[in-house]
Amino acid sequence: MSATMLTGLPRTVLRLHRSALLAWTVFVAGMSGWLVWLTEVTAKNPEPQGLLCFDACGQPYVLLDFATEMQWACTLIGYCFVGIAAFAGGALTGRELESGTAQLAWTQGVSPVRWLAAKLALPAVALTVGGTVLVLVFRWASTAHRTQDWTTSATMFTDRGPLVVAYALCALAVGTLTGLLLRRALASLGAAAAVMLLLYTVLTSFRVHLWPTVTRTGPHAFDLPDNVWLVSEGSNAHGRFATYHPASHYWPLHLTETAIVLTVAALAVLASFRVLRHRLESRV
Amino acid sequence: MTTTAMTAGDLSAPARPRLTRWLLRLHRPALCVWTALVLAAAALLLLLHGPLTDAAAEGWRQYNHCAFNASCTYDQKAILRYKDWYNYATLTVCALPFLVAAWAGGALIGRELESGTARLAWAQSSTPVRWLTVRLAVPAVAVTVGAGLLAWLHQLAWSAGQGRIDTAPQWYVLFTFHANGPTIVALTLAGLAAGALAGLLLRRTLPALGLALLLTGAVCVTTQALLPHLWPTLGRTGPGYFYSPSRSWQVSGGEIADQYHVTYHPYSHYWPLQLTTTALVLAMTALLTLACFLVLRRLTGKAAPR
Repeated sequence: MSATMLTGLPRTVLRLHRSALLAWTVFVAGMSGWLVWLTEVTAKNPEPQGLLCFDACGQPYVLLDFATEMQWACTLIGYCFVGIAAFAGGALTGRELESGTAQLAWTQGVSPVRWLAAKLALPAVALTVGGTVLVLVFRWASTAHRTQDWTTSATMFTDRGPLVVAYALCALAVGTLTGLLLRRALASLGAAAAVMLLLYTVLTSFRVHLWPTVTRTGPHAFDLPDNVWLVSEGSNAHGRFATYHPASHYWPLHLTETAIVLTVAALAVLASFRVLRHRLESRV
Repeated sequence: MTTTAMTAGDLSAPARPRLTRWLLRLHRPALCVWTALVLAAAALLLLLHGPLTDAAAEGWRQYNHCAFNASCTYDQKAILRYKDWYNYATLTVCALPFLVAAWAGGALIGRELESGTARLAWAQSSTPVRWLTVRLAVPAVAVTVGAGLLAWLHQLAWSAGQGRIDTAPQWYVLFTFHANGPTIVALTLAGLAAGALAGLLLRRTLPALGLALLLTGAVCVTTQALLPHLWPTLGRTGPGYFYSPSRSWQVSGGEIADQYHVTYHPYSHYWPLQLTTTALVLAMTALLTLACFLVLRRLTGKAAPR
């Protein structure tokens, strides 16, 4: 009996949200295909050979639409968590609680806790797999033809590591929580997307402080390497100074932010189960 | 005679405003959110127009005064602050078509058809055609007023920085171009019509919301692809490489038989491009609205009274 239940519940969740799974698959496959096309076809277009390239002769692809399209791909991958939050708040939990389908399922031998666990675990697997594919393909494409660095683009910083997956999982958890709290599809869809955008904006603006900067001083003006993230520079009584993040700070900064986002996700999951239990206790 | 006419008038007269009043009552949260969003964006744009631009312009004045003197200091924070808040304001204005489309597809039409509230309304005094007309016309007024106000304020804020802030975006930069003029109003109305069409086609809240966003995205991509070709470009040909004139939008450039050739839009093409783009988007909006009424007729049957 319980064995069939175990296979039954995941199957029900997958069947119910098959269009969302299809949309996510299309997004991951489409973005990967686009990035492969950009790298293998667009960037290798011989068209700019005859153009004067000034300081871009080593990378003629920046004269094409390649750089713009790469930036769009980077933005779409970096902000895909907004769509995930909308799905989790709207379709995954909000709609089910609004229409009463969830309450019906709880009377059919599916305990509420297992219902919520399945609702969180299965999308989490799909998001982790798809997000990992996106990060790997993006890293390959952005390394093959450099257009901009993580020091100048916030989404480039996000897309080159596990932070994409962390934001996706956090959006899933926050969306589930708003769905349980508001119990209405559209209201919780909007709230989840807004909360995640706010979290992303706040974390992006504090990103520079997530790891100690390096300070360099000197009596005269000096040049820094090209690939550093300059935080501030100026002069005081002792001469010139500059504080910056060198290229080697990428992973410490990136992993610190990943840890913060995953902590928020874990807290949202914890809160979701507490809200569910509180709701059941107050109902009985 | 007069009494019967008056009675008939009394019975039919209140029906028209009541539909609007129900609509406003039902979507009061949406109206509040819209008002709050417009007011917040307007406040941000006014801040940008005044103190933020002044501070950044002063920073640029100091920077240019420094020339290449390395020990000179300037207000770099003000310049970066201006850039950040300008981007937030511009992206907020450019997100309006998508927000309105999601709301129209999900809450305005999709939810009503999913829950059956629409059919209940049609069984009462209002005909389906009048139901849809009110649902499109009343939000269209709110959208035009809100988006129009923001576009005007954005144009003011953008103009304040021109010539004073060296890194202020040019007129033809994607988001700046649309946020600055009537195209954003037309695009937001297109979002409303696209949302209504998605709701009528799918008749379910969340799928309709998704389709509304896709349709609006398609309208935006089409508009952006056609935009440079909506007014004749100017061209220049000559030996050796040269740029198009300053403040002009270079559309294409290349070398043909040792002659370098550029085509571009000068700044004087700004209004012609804005107005032709607005006309194009309004034409697409009209097609989407027509499609809405055709789908509604298919939905309710040809026998539905007007």
